[in-house]
Amino acid sequence: MKMKGIGILAALTAVVFLVLPGAYALAEKPITLGCPLSTAYLYGWDAERGIQLAVDEVNAAGGVNVGGIKRPFKVEVLDTRDLEPGVPVSEALLAVEKLILEKKADFLVGGPVRSEAALAAMGLLSKYKKVAIFTTGFLSPKFHAIVAKNYDKFKYGFRIHGEAVQLVKEIMACFQEIQGKYGLNKVFIMVQDVAHARGGGKVLGKVAARKGWQVLGTEIYPTGTTDFSMGLIKAKKAGAQILNIWMDMPESSILLKQWYDMRLPALPFGSTLAAAEQPSFWKATEGKGEYTLCNVVNAGNAPSNATPWTMKFYDAYAKKWGVEPEGLGSSSSYMAVYVLKDAIERAGSLDSEKVVAALEKTDMMGVYGRIRFDPKNHQIIPSFDPKEGAVGSILQWQDGKRVVVFPKSIAAGEILLPPWMKK
Amino acid sequence: MDILIYGTINSIALALMALGFALVYGISRVPNFAHGAIYVLSGFITWTLLNSFGVPYALSILITMVLIGILGAVLYQFVLIRVRGMAISEIIASYAIGLAILEGLRWGGFKGMSYTLPVFIEGSVIVVGIPVDYQRMVVVGLGILIVVVLWAFTHFTRIGLALRGMAQDERAALMLGIDSDIMALVSMAIGAMLAGLAGAVLLPLGNIVVESGYNVLILAIAVCIVGGLGSWVGAVLAAFLIGFAQILTVVYLGSHYQMVVALLAIILTLILRPSGLFGMQKELEERV
Repeated sequence: MKMKGIGILAALTAVVFLVLPGAYALAEKPITLGCPLSTAYLYGWDAERGIQLAVDEVNAAGGVNVGGIKRPFKVEVLDTRDLEPGVPVSEALLAVEKLILEKKADFLVGGPVRSEAALAAMGLLSKYKKVAIFTTGFLSPKFHAIVAKNYDKFKYGFRIHGEAVQLVKEIMACFQEIQGKYGLNKVFIMVQDVAHARGGGKVLGKVAARKGWQVLGTEIYPTGTTDFSMGLIKAKKAGAQILNIWMDMPESSILLKQWYDMRLPALPFGSTLAAAEQPSFWKATEGKGEYTLCNVVNAGNAPSNATPWTMKFYDAYAKKWGVEPEGLGSSSSYMAVYVLKDAIERAGSLDSEKVVAALEKTDMMGVYGRIRFDPKNHQIIPSFDPKEGAVGSILQWQDGKRVVVFPKSIAAGEILLPPWMKK
Repeated sequence: MDILIYGTINSIALALMALGFALVYGISRVPNFAHGAIYVLSGFITWTLLNSFGVPYALSILITMVLIGILGAVLYQFVLIRVRGMAISEIIASYAIGLAILEGLRWGGFKGMSYTLPVFIEGSVIVVGIPVDYQRMVVVGLGILIVVVLWAFTHFTRIGLALRGMAQDERAALMLGIDSDIMALVSMAIGAMLAGLAGAVLLPLGNIVVESGYNVLILAIAVCIVGGLGSWVGAVLAAFLIGFAQILTVVYLGSHYQMVVALLAIILTLILRPSGLFGMQKELEERV
């Protein structure tokens, strides 16, 4: 009887020691993460899922150690609608301000997603001295240019994913690989009429021309376009061998269906191509999107073994949400929570100035490689090698699967041409 | 040649989108601003029947037509009839219904690109060196067929003749024993079915997204304003004008000016010829 009593006491003690830290953390005032996201669109909901997954993991592990007190994260999401056609930037700014003033967000993680809206929101970060980590869709190189130029004012913003100029570098390196393997050298650019896409397409055109590629033309489409046939005919007439696509609208899947129906002898290469990033692309195009290449910005958004954490994240995301990581904002949004946790713990405080200083000193291995920010412009440091920096990822749809084909350091397959392009 | 081929396809697609709107306005004088929403809703109903209930594709479209027709009639009988004759109220009420349908669909999770309908016939053909997929040929064939059937319906059937009577002069039609409310209800049902039919044939070219509802409404209004509100002949002619203007714009100016064409057409028509090509100032019979 006495032994049984000791056993019960021991079990209770174990329960107290195992459960109490977590329970204690949950009892403390949560750290509110305000997430301004365009939730009806891929780059919004993938980020929300990434953030929620990381927050659940962090909270389950006891929360965030803020100066010796364990506090949980709490997620507050507001729809910015900034990816919807015709919705003004002011909608996103209202959402950001509401998160800060009404939801009392301690930090902002996520968007706004559209570059125009995110750039406009940077003024609000300065006004309220609120630290924000941009994690999805915001690809404009203007971000780090602004931070570098006016550091004191804009130091509260950090971007944890790749941006348009880096994307162009990766794409050009991949182009060179395709040129070497298949002898292609004529590119036709198709962009959505939004800042990052227009900017990205323009830069790519210039760089490609400098590197000896024939840039045959650029076609700009309004957001929400559902018919691309005339542009595709233009590309065909011009003799395009690669279609370089910059579109984040879901209608871009239509472009690939029309490309297939015309059997256009040009390899579709999405620099940003929201439709092709998603696992549901295959079904949405009824398999017509096969051979489409697509840059998913950072590793982890498609299956690869970039770091030991990559597939761990990938599988956890798939298990929690019943779908594999879907878009360019998945892995970066997930990592942002861990990076912020790390910075808060090192700062020992939620004070914006201290957290900014801590974030600038971030150096950790994450889902897509070594995570460090350039302390002068707060842009994540990229690399083709995950041991050195944040590594990108270019996938190709092959036989219903997303196969990472670039960079070489994490590639799981080779780039293939559609049968009607083979000589 | 590509301008001629794709201009024709685009024009017929526009005519398909606009015919339902033109018919309802021509007969009942109700500007149905829920037209685009009905177009999108029909696509989602067909998708649901096909994918969630396993109903064969052709039967799914048929059931959708019936359901959408009933919806049009119900909307008229329970909402629009109360504000009929009050132009601003008609616009507000029908636009509110459209908004409720579209935003309700979005709220209900119908977002993203995974909602697609299969094409009727897979594959494409080269016409004078220009690739054209079979679905677009179906669009052309069906567009022509609908115009012919509508013409025959309004010239050789009792209901069709009653609808024409309503369109020409509602008071005279009432004196001849035609129930204007019943005819307006029938016109709403047929208009909704035409929107549904347009959706059935055009949506397989892309995917079903809520935003299409707003675009279709703008295009339908542009076609009807240019053609003359209430005139079917005008609507078809305007569809060709705008359709070809859009394709020429894409070829010579760029794709991002395509939508401007429709909006510019509305503005220019309202400034230069407010009644449109075949509007109220023309022969009344031309409206049907």
